[in-house]
Amino acid sequence: MRIRFLRTEGFRLSALYAGIFAISVMILGAFLLVITNQALRDQILTFSSTDIAAIRNGYASEGRSEAIEVVQQLMAGPANSGFLLLQDRGRALAGNLPAMAPRTGTFEFAFSAGGQSREVLGEGRFLSPGLYAFAGGDLTRLRTVQARILGIMLDLFGAAILIAIASGALVSWSFLRRTDAMAKTCQDIMQGDLKLRLPVRGAGDELDRLAEAINEMLARIAALMENLSQVSNDIAHDLRTPVTHLRHRLERARADSRTPEDYRLALDAAIAKADEILGLFTALLRIAQIEGGDRRSAFAPLELGELLEQMRELFEPVAEEAGDGLQLGTLDKVSIRGDRQLLVQLFSNLIENAIVHTPRGTRITLSLLRAEGRAVAAVSDDGPGVPREEHDKLFRRLYRREASRSQPGYGLGLALVAAIADLHGATVRLANGGKPGLTVEVSFLLERA
Amino acid sequence: MKILLIEDDKEISAHIVYALNGEGHEVSVCHDGQEGLKAARAGGHAVLIVDRMLPGLDGLSLVRQLRAEDNHTPVLFLTTMSGLNDRVEGLKGGGDDYLVKPFAFPELLARVEVIARRAGPRDSEPVRLRAGDLELDLIRRTVHRGGKPIELQAQEFRLLEFLMRNMGRVVTRAMLLEHVWDLHFDPRTNIVETHMSRLRGKVDRGHGTELIQTVRGSGYMLRAD
Repeated sequence: MRIRFLRTEGFRLSALYAGIFAISVMILGAFLLVITNQALRDQILTFSSTDIAAIRNGYASEGRSEAIEVVQQLMAGPANSGFLLLQDRGRALAGNLPAMAPRTGTFEFAFSAGGQSREVLGEGRFLSPGLYAFAGGDLTRLRTVQARILGIMLDLFGAAILIAIASGALVSWSFLRRTDAMAKTCQDIMQGDLKLRLPVRGAGDELDRLAEAINEMLARIAALMENLSQVSNDIAHDLRTPVTHLRHRLERARADSRTPEDYRLALDAAIAKADEILGLFTALLRIAQIEGGDRRSAFAPLELGELLEQMRELFEPVAEEAGDGLQLGTLDKVSIRGDRQLLVQLFSNLIENAIVHTPRGTRITLSLLRAEGRAVAAVSDDGPGVPREEHDKLFRRLYRREASRSQPGYGLGLALVAAIADLHGATVRLANGGKPGLTVEVSFLLERA
Repeated sequence: MKILLIEDDKEISAHIVYALNGEGHEVSVCHDGQEGLKAARAGGHAVLIVDRMLPGLDGLSLVRQLRAEDNHTPVLFLTTMSGLNDRVEGLKGGGDDYLVKPFAFPELLARVEVIARRAGPRDSEPVRLRAGDLELDLIRRTVHRGGKPIELQAQEFRLLEFLMRNMGRVVTRAMLLEHVWDLHFDPRTNIVETHMSRLRGKVDRGHGTELIQTVRGSGYMLRAD
């Protein structure tokens, strides 16, 4: 637990930044070392050549003794931290350097004096054959400066690492605190409290966005769960009724039946009841399969208008027998991609609704209009209609209007219609349209040609 | 006729055997796909009834295998309601018909009879169908009874054609919905009955014998005798 923050993304990022900072410090340090080295060497060499020039001038104007005089003056000068040497054929005449083999030009060399080793950079010259002068500066100072720069850089490097660890720990601690809270909420939700939501700080940062997305997902899941438990409740409830009826009938048949004919009738009624229950299951399963949506593979191009004409042909005798009229309104030419069988079932459901749930003499009209990238197929009737406040409920599974409870059916028709429409990317809308009756519109989105 | 039933559910197979025996059919049963394939290869069956879900070898693979071996015994698939594309898949895989469980026995019996006919000697596709004094011309799309022409709508023609092709056999409502209208669900309104009543009005009304008969609890039958 104590080193858990080392494994957080926040800490990893801090460590990365610290690493980059440390590398920059090192590059800067190396750069500084090169620059200072160059500058100090240049300075020493400038002083050296000035000193040599002075000695040379002295020698040129008044000879050897004046050169010695100049060397001694330079050595006594306040700003002089350098070294000088004047020697005649290997014998030192003046200066603070041990005698050496003469070398001309700029060069550096090391020597030890009083147990200290020193490094000198400077310029050597012959004033005349045999008379040699050298002026130079101490490189030890350069080494000191460089060591100090190196020291500062190392301090900075160490500080960078420390700051990185501290800020990484801080960032990951605050990250961890929030993710721990999220994880805890998730666990509580898993324990069954579906109403809980992840904390959102309101800062709009990435964690907030993640929490919001998860919260939306939770809301959706909760809605689905509620729908699901609603449906299972309804199914359990709706199934109890026919199964209870079935049981009653069988009980009564056993008690009352006298003749084989009595038994046969009772059994026929029981079989019909069982078929009704199976039909309910079939309808529910079909909706579930369509909503599962593995059916798009059966999509093919089809003419919606032709399909509606066939629907009219199919249902016209049925409508006539029910005392209704089934006619075609305006049919625009519309091609869509879809599952023919399912669309036939969709329109069958709507037309059967209009036939079954309206009084005799109702006129039912099928129409198909294209407008603004959509094609609207409508089944409308001039029957009594459905109050607006009931429109949404009609799409719920197993919902049945009071008025239609005596009719055969499971209250699944429009739920199935909605599922099929949804599979086709279409929407279903109920409208009263200001006229008497009910219009069901299925609005297909047309693909751009 | 001799029927091979390949179905792993013992209770359902017992019921099917009982129903088929009642109609005088001789049924042998296999509860496993491999076993069923062996029995089917041995031959001698007029019809195979094959469940889609079987241990050992699933029904679809079994039938594909048979068809690949040039065995064309008619096959009726049984299935529990599962994938929506199952029916198409089953028919493409070599099945002759498809029945979703749970089903009523008259439905099973009618379908077995109808697919068994397909195994019979296949004449070249007939040009005319005849039932007594009723004659249907498949090329000209005309119908005559007793020499007098009868005007039928396209779907009435298809309905009569299906009845005549299955003359003497029971056809169920579901079979008519599937074959005449390509409807694969149970409608809430009496589509078949109303269309049938119109067809009867045109074909049978005013003639001495009723060719189209209702078979109680099962469906319809066209008989010429």
